[in-house]
Amino acid sequence: MKAKTICRMLIGFTLLLVAGCQTVKPWDRDLLAQKQMSFNPAPMLQSIDEHIYFSKEASMGGASVGGGGCGCN
Amino acid sequence: MASPCSVLVETDDRAEAAELLAIAEEEARRIELKFSRYRRDNLVYRINHSEGRPIEVDEETALLIDYATTCYAMSDGMFDITSGVLRRAWTFDGSTRVPSRHSVQRLLKHVGWSRVQWSNPTLTLPAGMEIDFGGIGKEYAVDRAATMIAQRTRSSFVVNFGGDLFVRGVRRGDRTWGVGIDDPTRTGESALYRLDATTGGIATSGDARRFVVYRGKRLGHILNPKTGWPVEDAPRSVTVAGRTCLEAGTLSTLAYLQGPRARTYLEELAVQFWIV
Amino acid sequence: MQLEKPKPPSALRDALHTAALALLLVPAATQAQTAPTTANTSDSPDRIDVTSLFYGEQGRTSIFEPVVRFTHLMQDGQSLSGQFGLDVITGASPTGELPSGQVQTRTSASGRTITSSAGTLPTAPFSDRRFAFDGDWKKPWGRVVTSTIGGHFSREKDYQSLGASGMIATDLEHRLLTITIGGGVNRDTVFPVGGTTAGLSSSAIISTASNQKSVANVLIGVSRVMSRRWMLAVNASESHENGYLTEPYKLVSVLNPTSGVPLTSLTEKRPSTRTRSSVMGSSVYHFTQDLLYSSYRYYWDTWGIRSHTLDLKYRHQFDDTTYLEPLLRFYTQSAANFYTGGLLQGNPLPDFASSDYRLGALNTITVGGTYGLRWNDFPGDWTVRAQLIRQSGNSSPPNAIGVQRRFDLSPPVNIYAVVVGYSFGY
Repeated sequence: MKAKTICRMLIGFTLLLVAGCQTVKPWDRDLLAQKQMSFNPAPMLQSIDEHIYFSKEASMGGASVGGGGCGCN
Repeated sequence: MASPCSVLVETDDRAEAAELLAIAEEEARRIELKFSRYRRDNLVYRINHSEGRPIEVDEETALLIDYATTCYAMSDGMFDITSGVLRRAWTFDGSTRVPSRHSVQRLLKHVGWSRVQWSNPTLTLPAGMEIDFGGIGKEYAVDRAATMIAQRTRSSFVVNFGGDLFVRGVRRGDRTWGVGIDDPTRTGESALYRLDATTGGIATSGDARRFVVYRGKRLGHILNPKTGWPVEDAPRSVTVAGRTCLEAGTLSTLAYLQGPRARTYLEELAVQFWIV
Repeated sequence: MQLEKPKPPSALRDALHTAALALLLVPAATQAQTAPTTANTSDSPDRIDVTSLFYGEQGRTSIFEPVVRFTHLMQDGQSLSGQFGLDVITGASPTGELPSGQVQTRTSASGRTITSSAGTLPTAPFSDRRFAFDGDWKKPWGRVVTSTIGGHFSREKDYQSLGASGMIATDLEHRLLTITIGGGVNRDTVFPVGGTTAGLSSSAIISTASNQKSVANVLIGVSRVMSRRWMLAVNASESHENGYLTEPYKLVSVLNPTSGVPLTSLTEKRPSTRTRSSVMGSSVYHFTQDLLYSSYRYYWDTWGIRSHTLDLKYRHQFDDTTYLEPLLRFYTQSAANFYTGGLLQGNPLPDFASSDYRLGALNTITVGGTYGLRWNDFPGDWTVRAQLIRQSGNSSPPNAIGVQRRFDLSPPVNIYAVVVGYSFGY
């Protein structure tokens, strides 16, 4: 895939997200309030995994900023 | 408040109405912030994450806890602000899925107000237990807002937070405020009853929005703190009128928890009620 | 379901009424004042999280990494975290050289002896300790905006990293939409044991000074609540690296162009800039009780590497504190444009070359699972995550020469990683 295609898809997808289609009333947010209802429910485990993959693969990043450099890669 | 709220005031003074509405809104927000179990920055959060340590509470929280203690004692444990943990096992989404007996049993170990040490102003909640003012918070907010509005106006008014309400006085020409009781299956469309309210509180408990279907039976979202299961054969909705909204709300919840005996229970209490 | 000892009904009503009045007759002014002063220093929710990673590669590196994190949550929603981690690394890492067909032994610039038997990839033994400190401060600004700033410092024998990052998240549309913007900078220093060698040279030391590497990255993200049980997010990020990006100990074999026998080894050399870009979509779906987490990332950089990552986790919730979460991850990358299996004797040297297998074409498959539990009446939550990671590259590249065709040039790497975590609030 070309970077340009990806960017175009991303913009489209983002517009879709921003425009939205459904609202969730506050009293229907019982599930959303649960702590496991999160993109990163276990941040420490997540950062360990990211560190492992960073040291074994060429890619990195995607969902967060910062973190530390390492001589492992 | 996590539901629609309204304030009706019979007045010709638009500014006064706006001011009273603002007072009610501010009070509702204050109570929600302070007692919501969904927030991480309030006392309820700290109590629920105290892991067995004693927590000192402020006067207002102490009074609410006292009220809950009275409810617990007077209902022989059927009204229990520690029963909220049971909701983790249940998802009332209209499906037929119910939790395993095992998972309910595990959660029941963390339910029971009698296991909490309450010595005003210090509360000690055993690790794993939680308190939740959801069962009385909204009614309390209605009464609080009504008290504050009553201090500022002589007009007749209604405070309605998501169907739990307080009415004061009669309208001009000796007319009453009309309160409709919804058909639980068609919320907001048609009122089954219209009741004429004068000063006092009115509250409804029921399964209009949240339920599961188990063995062909519809089980509402109010859980029995002793069994961990929804109340079986309960009415679809129980509406009670009381001297305060808190009283009405507590009685309607207690009656609902009686299941098929709700009607007898309320008749014995000699209160005004409507069962659907 | 029934009242065991029915109280006289009027007594119940009166008791409730009396209790309600006691509650409602408190003057409003008193309550408005008491509400903010509920800040009670003795019961502030502090939290300790401890994790220990046990990591092993078949015949190569093993790592033990304990991390402890303290979090202090303040009354007004602010939180402060401090984290300390230690890595203890021992083992061997492939040097990048190719098998010789003969027993090979020699001494490197750093004084380390590299040995390998005939048909296997040469590796170099190493051991290291790494210390890392991280801190962050999260602060809400009003009801919808939250900022986070963080700092990082880590050091190991030959590498030091200093970093700072900041992030702002805004909730819009009644908290159904969240927009996040963040950025970070790192200033790293590489000081290879024994000095830095010139790239693509036979290990002649040209400098004992340290080498700088700076990184700057930005991220923009949008997440949205799609329904009562579904959330979606899209993130785009870009990272720019500048400075010394070479791996100081990695080597590239120089082969006899016909027999394929390694004649000598040169140090590798990578470009001094790299821009990495990625887009990522994530979804969390809540079934009646279970949850499905999924994400896909597409990554590309100016070294010519493209990668796809698919990550799936299914969480089965037994009750609020006990869950089992199987996980699957698929990763595939293409090779960097200066990646080479080996250089040929007699050809002119390229500008850049590396034989680091992590810059070659590569697939990674991970299977594993997480189990979370709480012991009755024992405070705190436990988690155990176990993963098997299998990496494979191109074992027999079509351009392999001579004797190199007989060897597995990219033997699969099997890795296990077990993390035990404990989280406790007090």
